[in-house]
Formats: sequence, structure tokens, C-alpha cells
Amino acid sequence: MKRPDSADQTITTRKYLARYWQLYLMIVLPLLYFIIFKYVPMVGNVLAFRRYRPGMGAWGTEWVGLTYFRRFFEDPAFWRAFRNTLVLSLLNLVVNFPIPIIFAILVNEVRHLAFKKVVQTVSYMPRFISTVVVIAILGELLSPSSGIVNLFRMKVLGQKAIYFMNDTTFFRLIYILVDTWQYTGWTAIIYLAAITAIPQDLYEAATIDGANKSQQILYITIPSIMPTIMVMLILNVGRLLSLGFEKVLLMYTPDNSMVSDIIDTLVYRTGLANQNYSYATAIGLFSGIIGIILVAGSNSLSKRLTGDGIY
Amino acid sequence: MRQYKTFSYRLFNLFVNLVMLTSLLLCLTPFVYMIALSLSSPKAIINNEVFLWPKGFNLESYKQIFTYPNFFHAYGNTLFYTFAGSAISLGLMVLFAYPLSKSKLRGQKTLMKLVIFSMFFTGGLIPNYLLVSSLHLVNTRWAMLLPFAINQFNLILLINFFRSIPNDLEEAAIIDGLDYFGILIRIILPLSGAALATVGLYTAVFFWNDWFNGLIYLKSSQFPVMLFLRNIVTGTSMVGDAAGSGDKTTIAISIKSAVIITSTLPIIVLYPFLQRYFVKGVMIGAVKG
Repeated sequence: MKRPDSADQTITTRKYLARYWQLYLMIVLPLLYFIIFKYVPMVGNVLAFRRYRPGMGAWGTEWVGLTYFRRFFEDPAFWRAFRNTLVLSLLNLVVNFPIPIIFAILVNEVRHLAFKKVVQTVSYMPRFISTVVVIAILGELLSPSSGIVNLFRMKVLGQKAIYFMNDTTFFRLIYILVDTWQYTGWTAIIYLAAITAIPQDLYEAATIDGANKSQQILYITIPSIMPTIMVMLILNVGRLLSLGFEKVLLMYTPDNSMVSDIIDTLVYRTGLANQNYSYATAIGLFSGIIGIILVAGSNSLSKRLTGDGIY
Repeated sequence: MRQYKTFSYRLFNLFVNLVMLTSLLLCLTPFVYMIALSLSSPKAIINNEVFLWPKGFNLESYKQIFTYPNFFHAYGNTLFYTFAGSAISLGLMVLFAYPLSKSKLRGQKTLMKLVIFSMFFTGGLIPNYLLVSSLHLVNTRWAMLLPFAINQFNLILLINFFRSIPNDLEEAAIIDGLDYFGILIRIILPLSGAALATVGLYTAVFFWNDWFNGLIYLKSSQFPVMLFLRNIVTGTSMVGDAAGSGDKTTIAISIKSAVIITSTLPIIVLYPFLQRYFVKGVMIGAVKG
């Protein structure tokens, strides 16, 4: 027996299979799984162009062309969701893109090693807590009757309580801050790894030249991790349409729906709650296609700028 | 290194440590607050006396939630989904990742493209829902286990790890007469403890935290604990009997907190011991294949 290598190019398929059939046998089950659970739903998107009738199968009954696309293009609810998605994503990017970078730079400056380790360990943890738990805790902290934020407002500042979770003005801010809480430490790992790879003699030389800490950060650390920052930025732009659907759904209330209804929640409500399957599939497909264009575009941009892409 | 003594250096150091201390407190305070609430008496809660330390210490809310059959069932369901889901998931991913780690295997490149494409373009919510329902998996526990059994990110992580194992080991094993199943079980898997732990943990956390699939596919007796918690929070389900008293909301607060703590406890308790595996995943995953 031999390992697969270039010499195998010359041998016959029959011999090749006799040698490696076990590797192909291993693939059968997971590949079947992959086709059924990842690719069948992809093909299932044809429902966007077909009329769905209950009890007549998942593929719909007849072709209707772009009917459903035309319908949602004329639907103000769609445009509201589209705008909400973009605004929330962009704001989230503006706030939560730089924060992990700053956090990583500062963590790297901690001199006390045990303290550094504790901070790092604790800061990754929120990433593993269920979004349901995060939003449940948030609900208690911000509760108008018993939450500490409102108690502080009422008792110390003498202001009226605000029902934060239902308030359109606070929804985006809360979403973004929760994101900061959940992902700052985790995202910082990647930047920290890049910072650790910077040669120490750069800093030593700078110290001898009389550069202080802030100058070292500005002229050594940040330029050195620029390639990582660029790749991460481009990745984030590629994911612009995919917000934390579950988090938005958990924070969604009819009162804040003016700003909290994003494309994914619209698909969920029209599709699963109201069972307009074809209509919801069309919206989902539209946002999926924009998503893949964004990913492909940002990836080729990344390759051109940094010579590095994600695929 | 004279710089270590300068005033501006000390100021900078102070600033860094203050930021770190604040982040530390921000991460931990919500949990401490929840623990304090869950251990406090309803009277102290209604008078808004509780902050980071329990007032009127008692274990009543914990005793109570474990008498609610709904909670008890939901917790058991979550344990089942976590173990069964992780086992199925790891099995499928190992079987897929090992052949895919051989870049010269015929068809490997096509399969990799298939995997990577599916990371960027998915079927979407409705086609997935219709698939699960046409497979007659709705209202069965399989609906929780199957749709997300293979996670492409974890799969690639495993593939990258398998690739890093030296080929010589495998060649020696082939000479010794081992077939590929034998190599996978006796050589590759024993060497992949760290990677399997990492992927296993990611998968277990996913199943532990999953609630949305439960919401759309399951009936209430099959609900996982996270969905149970979500339903308490949104008020769509009662925690237990209303106890018939006026301070229903405050009872609910301590009980809600107790549910939050008990459903998160396994992660919080195990996390410090396992965190090196969690972090390892980012590093292995970052090395591209």
C-alpha cells in the first residue's frame, strides 16, 4: 500500500480505488449528510420562483417567475428591514471593529503576567454564554421596575424610569453594547496573536531612541498588525448583512420593531409565523445573494490589497 | 531601560491596569448580580436592596425550580442534546475531515470547494425548515441534532489539524499492514486529542446554547433549557404555579435568576479548566490549509 502521491496519476482508476476505497467509504455518510442538509436547502431556494401550496411539497407547485421579488420590492416593510439591517451593521462595525484592536494593544501592555492571564481568560468567556442568557440578564438589569440601571436613575439622579428594552431610541445602542460585551475579548485573540509576533528588538531600538509607550504603539504596534486589521475589516464588510439574528429576535418587541425588524426577522415572521413560504424564501434568497457578492467582492479586494484572502 | 521609572510610563501603566480592571468587572458583574438575586429573599428584592451580595440568604428559588417538572425535563433534554449532538457531530466530522486532509486524494479539491461554498451561501431559513419538515423530523428530537451536525468552521479546523500530523507515521503504519480505518482509529485519533477536545467543546457549547431550532421544530416536552428560559423571559410560559401572592413578579425575578445561573453553571464552572482548548481553536483555525 502507498499513500496518494503524484505517481498515482499514472495508475488506473480500478487500481486507485482498490488502494484508497476505504477513504472514499469514510466520506460516504458525511457527504450524504452534507448534500441533504446543506445543498438540498440551497436548491430549495427555487421556491422563491414558485408558488407554495400547503401539503403539495416543499418545492412548490408552479413557476411564477419574479412575482415574489416584485412584491417585496414594493413592500415598505422590506425596505424598512433592509435599512435597519444596514444601519445596525454599519454602526456595529464602526463601534465594535476598533474596540478589540484597542483592547488587544492594552492587554499586551499589562506587565503583571498573572493579572494579564486572568483578564484574558475572563474576557473570552462571554462568547460562550448563550444569547438567551445574555438577553435575560440584560432584561433584568434594564427592567423599569427592579433593574439596577433604572434604580440608579430614580434614586440617585431623580429621573423617571425608562423601559429600555421597548424603546426605539435605545435598541441599536443596546444591541451594539451587548456585542461589545460578548465578543471584544474573543476577537482580540487574533490581534493579540499578531502583536506577539512582532519582533521585540523593534521596541528595544525604539526605547533606545527615546520613544515613549504611546509612540511605540503608534509607530510600531499598529503598523505591524495592519495586515491583520485589513483582513479582519474586509471579512467584516463581507458579513455586513448577517447580523446576530438570534439576538435581534430575542430583543425584538412590537414596540421597538421600527428599528429592530431586520431582514432575518422579517423572513422569520413572514415565513414561519405567517407561512408565506415563497415570499419569505424570495427575501432570504435576495439577501443571501447580496451577502455572497459582498463576500466575493471583499475577498478579491483583500487579495489585491494584502495578498491574502479568506478562500 | 531608564524609561521604567518615568512619570509618563507609570501613568500609562496605571491607565492600562484601570482599563483591564474595568473590563474584568464588566464581564463578571452581571453573573454576580444574578447569583445575588437568586439567593436573596423576595422581600429584599422587592425593596430593591440587592446588588452584588445576597440579602436574606436562602436557597428557596433553587429548591423551587427543581420541583418544576418543566425545568427538570428541559434540563435533561439539554443534557441529551449536548451529548448526543456532540457525538454525532464529532463522528461525522472526523469521517469527513480525515479523507479531506489528504490533498492528493482524487476529488478532494472538489469536495473542499463544496464545503467552502456552503459557508458563504446557505439554503436560508425557509428551505431549511421545509427540508426538516419533509423529512418528518418536526416534533422529533432529531430536528435538534441533525441540521447543524456538521459545522464547516470546525470541519476545516479538524482538516488543518490532521494535515499537521507527520506523514511518516502513516507510511510506517501502512508498511505494518494497517488499513485506513485502522490508521484513523489507532494513529490519527490518539494524536488529535487537543483538536478533538477543541472541536468537541465548540460543538457541545453550540448544542447547550441552542434554542432557535427548538422553537421552530419541537413541542414543549422536548424543549431545551435555553428555550425554557427564553419562554419565561418573554412570559409565554409560566415558571410554575403562580403561588397566589401579590409579589409574583419578585418571586419570578429570583426564580428567573436561578434558572439563568443553573443553565449557565456548567459553562462557567468548566470554562476556566477548558479555556485553553477554546483558545487553541482560534489558533489552529487561523492557519489556513
